[in-house]
Amino acid sequence: MSLSRGVKIAGYGCVCACGNSAADAFDGALKGRACFGLPAHRVHSSYTDTYPVFMVADDFLAARNPEQSISQFLFIACANEAFAQAGITPEQLHTKRVGVVVGSSVDASFHCFDVYHHWRKGEFSAQDARELKNYLALPTAQTISRHFGFTGPFQTIVTACASGTDAVGIAKSWIDTGLCDAVLCGGTDEISLSPYDGFIRLMVAGKERCKPFSKNRAGINVGEGAGAFLLVSHATAEEFNLHAQGYVLGYGNACDAYHQTAPDPEAKGLIKAINFALKEAGLTADDLAFINAHGTASTANDPAEGVAFRTLCPQVPVWGSKGVTGHTLGAAGAVEAVLTIEALNKKIVPPTVGFEQYDENIGFTPTTQVTAVTKRFALSDSLAFGGCNAAIVLGAQDAA
Amino acid sequence: MQPKLFINGFSYLLGDAQAEDFTPFVETRKLRRMEGISKNALLCAFRSLEQAGIDKNASKEDMGLSIAMGAGALESTCKFMDSIITDGDALSSPTAFASSVHNSTGLTLSMFLHIKGPCLITGQLDASFAGALLTAQQLLAKKMCKDVLVAVAEDINPVLPAILPQYENDFAPLLCGYPHPFKRVAAAFAVCAESTINTKFVVQEITFSRTDETQNKVEMPDFCSCAHSAVAFGQQLDKARDFDFCETFAGSTLNIEVKKYAA
Repeated sequence: MSLSRGVKIAGYGCVCACGNSAADAFDGALKGRACFGLPAHRVHSSYTDTYPVFMVADDFLAARNPEQSISQFLFIACANEAFAQAGITPEQLHTKRVGVVVGSSVDASFHCFDVYHHWRKGEFSAQDARELKNYLALPTAQTISRHFGFTGPFQTIVTACASGTDAVGIAKSWIDTGLCDAVLCGGTDEISLSPYDGFIRLMVAGKERCKPFSKNRAGINVGEGAGAFLLVSHATAEEFNLHAQGYVLGYGNACDAYHQTAPDPEAKGLIKAINFALKEAGLTADDLAFINAHGTASTANDPAEGVAFRTLCPQVPVWGSKGVTGHTLGAAGAVEAVLTIEALNKKIVPPTVGFEQYDENIGFTPTTQVTAVTKRFALSDSLAFGGCNAAIVLGAQDAA
Repeated sequence: MQPKLFINGFSYLLGDAQAEDFTPFVETRKLRRMEGISKNALLCAFRSLEQAGIDKNASKEDMGLSIAMGAGALESTCKFMDSIITDGDALSSPTAFASSVHNSTGLTLSMFLHIKGPCLITGQLDASFAGALLTAQQLLAKKMCKDVLVAVAEDINPVLPAILPQYENDFAPLLCGYPHPFKRVAAAFAVCAESTINTKFVVQEITFSRTDETQNKVEMPDFCSCAHSAVAFGQQLDKARDFDFCETFAGSTLNIEVKKYAA
């Protein structure tokens, strides 16, 4: 293994249903604590008395400037946590080429349902015009880059539920190839009508709290949240005396070319993505302490991951965290990467909240209790609509 | 130093692809349920791969996809919202929802062209093409694939053309091309990290930065679209000469140094 291939994580942050900071979210994951319930106060849908979601706490959201999208607010909060952990201010980095890569789904889509509805009814107003202009003028990564005063490249990645993992992987690449000295990266997403109704209408959403990898699983719960990392080059880390809070060591991505909403049951794309990530990291499955799986608790996702993990790393413990975060869509990969680093650094893996029964079609039992780990590396994977698969290999802060 | 990109094939489209355009490539009945944005991208992809000498039917384990979508599949997004508005959310269209996801266009390209390498999609309005080019460069630099198909696909937001006559001043800084009509456009570029017998151009350097510029300064003489950069870039390639491609958007600048390739 060669950590010279890895990119240093100088800081990270997270906000999701199980906590308002990375440490708080990890504690929530350990204890199975989450803000979970019916979202009538967040979306206007006839389903809100039936289909629950995982939400960021209302008091946290109350601090948002109404001009700011929830997704951008959440990401900025996580980024501030990352800067604080790194012990550096964004202003100190203004002499450097700092990029921003953010994965999102809702924030990068035309999500202005009320604006659209008013227009269709012939009731478009000046307020609607302002909202439409905000949506057009404030693309996710660009707006976040402007918020912090960075002038490097920016990219909003929209590979649906793999966006967050892809954003971290691409950010690593920007450091590796010398495109940037530092990259603020991650993912963010919010509860919104279209995905909420859409997943219900596709019959993949559950009416109960999700049960990842469980035989009696009954579908996903949409969630919201954000995860952010400050990645830095070795030279930048030295210049500002930034300590490693962890490492991003490998990234892989491959598409299934199989189906619009279902993963390839043979998991060929996912296997390819994981293999690439491990190869880039210079590691093998034997080096992994655990896998943080995508584990949505949908009928099709969990067996596909089962095939990939049984094929590549049958002895490696698998942890699914969506039983405390929900499926945070474009943020999922980043939220899960933060929880993975927390687990590596604390040397314990939480239980897979919601898991109840072994499923022979999945072929493994995920973590069912807090489990101590000694190995210093872990894998986190994401699968998305359209057959996009992504995987990253992460290292603990003491992995070097 | 960023790696060079060798352009082996390119194609762009102003307006919508017609069924007969696909005759050389695919049975048109297979396109019946496909949304327009994906059809346009697919036609450009077929044409650029053909120019690059890449067999459209071959399995492409080592080809990646880097897709730029200004604001996603708006036709399907609006169809889904229409179905909620007219039928109620209990009868809203799951098909329209699935097609509204950005990855839908990625799936179309990967399935029709048998592409099985990495697939990444950038969605940031005018700056999407810049992001997709950077991604292609990164995928090749990291040897995640040997070729990348950069595809650009843009839909029209139906609200904008309808409300702009009344609110033009509010939106003017963001728009280039307006008051010319909004047009659905697409483009595709077959690129790789090393020259082939089909190489036509070399991208020497791409510089993409965020700025505090508030006015979109791109000149687009006859249409309005987030994907104008990709089309304008293709139009420059048509001239078959060296050029520096420079665009200043509201909030960013893109510079691409391109040389005509001579083996």
